[in-house]
Amino acid sequence: MYGRRASQLLKELGSCEAGQLTPFDSDSFDQVTKECNKHNLQLQSLIRKIEDQNLDIQTTRNEDHFGAVIHHLSLTRNKRCLMAYMYNRAEVIQSFRWKVGPVLPQEIQEKLNYSEEEYFKSHSAAIESYMSELDLDLTVDMVPPKDPYIRVRVLDDIGEVCLGDHSISLTKHSLHFLRRTDAEQFISQGLMEEFLE
Amino acid sequence: MASSSSWEEGDAAAAAAAATDVELLKRAWRNEKAAPEILRFEAALVARAREQIQLLEETVEEFMENGVDDLVVSLYQMDLDRTLFLLRSYLRIRLQKIEKYMIHISKSNLWNRLSEQEQRFAKRCTEIMEKHLEQSVLSKLPYGYQSMLKQSISSEEDDMVPEPQLDTFVFCKTKGAVGAFQLDDIGDEIVDLVADDLYVLRYKSIKGLVESGQIDLV
Amino acid sequence: MAGQSDPHISIFSAPEVEFLAEDEVVEIVPNIRMESLNMICGDFGPFFPQIPSKVPLWLAAALKKRGKCTIRTPEWMTVERLTQVLEAERESPREFQPLPFHYVEISRLLFDHARDDIPDIYMVRSLIEDIRDVRFHKVETGLETISGRTHAVKLKNLSAMEVNIVRPFMVRALQAFYKHDSPQMIQQADTMGSKRSQGADRGPRRDLRPR
Repeated sequence: MYGRRASQLLKELGSCEAGQLTPFDSDSFDQVTKECNKHNLQLQSLIRKIEDQNLDIQTTRNEDHFGAVIHHLSLTRNKRCLMAYMYNRAEVIQSFRWKVGPVLPQEIQEKLNYSEEEYFKSHSAAIESYMSELDLDLTVDMVPPKDPYIRVRVLDDIGEVCLGDHSISLTKHSLHFLRRTDAEQFISQGLMEEFLE
Repeated sequence: MASSSSWEEGDAAAAAAAATDVELLKRAWRNEKAAPEILRFEAALVARAREQIQLLEETVEEFMENGVDDLVVSLYQMDLDRTLFLLRSYLRIRLQKIEKYMIHISKSNLWNRLSEQEQRFAKRCTEIMEKHLEQSVLSKLPYGYQSMLKQSISSEEDDMVPEPQLDTFVFCKTKGAVGAFQLDDIGDEIVDLVADDLYVLRYKSIKGLVESGQIDLV
Repeated sequence: MAGQSDPHISIFSAPEVEFLAEDEVVEIVPNIRMESLNMICGDFGPFFPQIPSKVPLWLAAALKKRGKCTIRTPEWMTVERLTQVLEAERESPREFQPLPFHYVEISRLLFDHARDDIPDIYMVRSLIEDIRDVRFHKVETGLETISGRTHAVKLKNLSAMEVNIVRPFMVRALQAFYKHDSPQMIQQADTMGSKRSQGADRGPRRDLRPR
């Protein structure tokens, strides 16, 4: 059936979690572009057929005309699907600059085709140059700031640690007032918890 | 804030003038976040905010050198962090809208809502996107179907350009009483917009009120 | 690809709603002396021991965390007031009682940071939870009444967090009704009603014909 493969491309997009990518499906993609060119050949030959019969191409409404319309519509539908596939992927790829950074990890890179890799680099560079024009890094502060200090309760004996320019003794059950950035490593290891009175 | 007697008129303009830049920035940030299309760049406000940020950064540095109480320094630092977040997030949302609707923006009067830097960014993005779609899709399609903007040569207008959906519904609050407001072109849908009430309305119908600052998106 | 809108772009995250709530003004009673703070977000102080002063919630929480003040519970957060609100919420199934736009976040921040300053905290907490539940139930039943081509919904006194929770569903539902009830989709005699469209040439500008 005409257009089926193209719609499968979009289903692939849709089945993917928001903000994620599936590997570029070059197989289906190439088949759809081939289908487009086949439609065009058939379209052209139907038009030639109408012209060969000396019929007015604008007003003729015979079977060849309607055949041509079907090929034309199938072609534009395929084109819309291909463009939507590329465009939506490009949007996800753009978002990686904000979420992941200027260098993509291998497992993401593997999912891109060559043009997409180039696109990511050029687009990152465009963001880069906007930020340098403004002299403001926009890739930090992605979430609202919190108090840079935090009260914590120590959950296990950690012992003497050096934080910044002084050292403190983190004994079990003791309470401290620390820089959030210093505390986070211990919290993520389950050695501390935020202490809310 | 300076208090001049001319501000005591109590009208909306005076209220706006009395609001701090942080409040104005917050309003701009909220509106920009909630509006489907890009709004006018708040150039003067952004310039003022950046100036204040820079001043405070210098002050905080001075404080640290002069051994001012840690408590005071950390409070100012938090104020700084909060303002910086708002500014960055505001600029970021705009960039993300440009990323999403670059072609539409560059082909419509939305273009004039962008800052100079944003215009350069949009232009560059469009070129990059064009090149990408060109080499991966369009060049592989038959003649007559190679346009990025039109589905085919027989399309009369640009029918392939993603546009923001202005028909979408938004949550909004009026600042003052707007009064009876017409929600559609024909005029048989009228709503009485009372001050501080919350409404869910089609963005398209209140677009003008958002642009003129009479209504805030939340 | 035209007309797609990213539903995520216009939604405030929970930390962002909390960030906005942190600018709400509360009253503190400092236990230290401190000069005025001339901040970007406004001027506060000077502060004197035992003299109440108004500051944004984030500043209050920071001072409290460092043991420099107590926070005064806002007037609406007392057992007496909340009991009244809860009763009124239960009595009027279609209306929301006036509460601060950020009442959920303010109360949460105060529970987290100023637990020892809130009289009857357990009662207050449970009242607020009950109020939230009753209100949320109203929101849900209110959503069930959306039908036909709704142009406007008034949600007097709905709070920020409630807006945020109801937004994705509400927007999608209204859009769907708007689209499917458009005169272009159903050519039928119009039902008269204030919330319904009546013209034939109205409706979304989106052209549904293939182009």
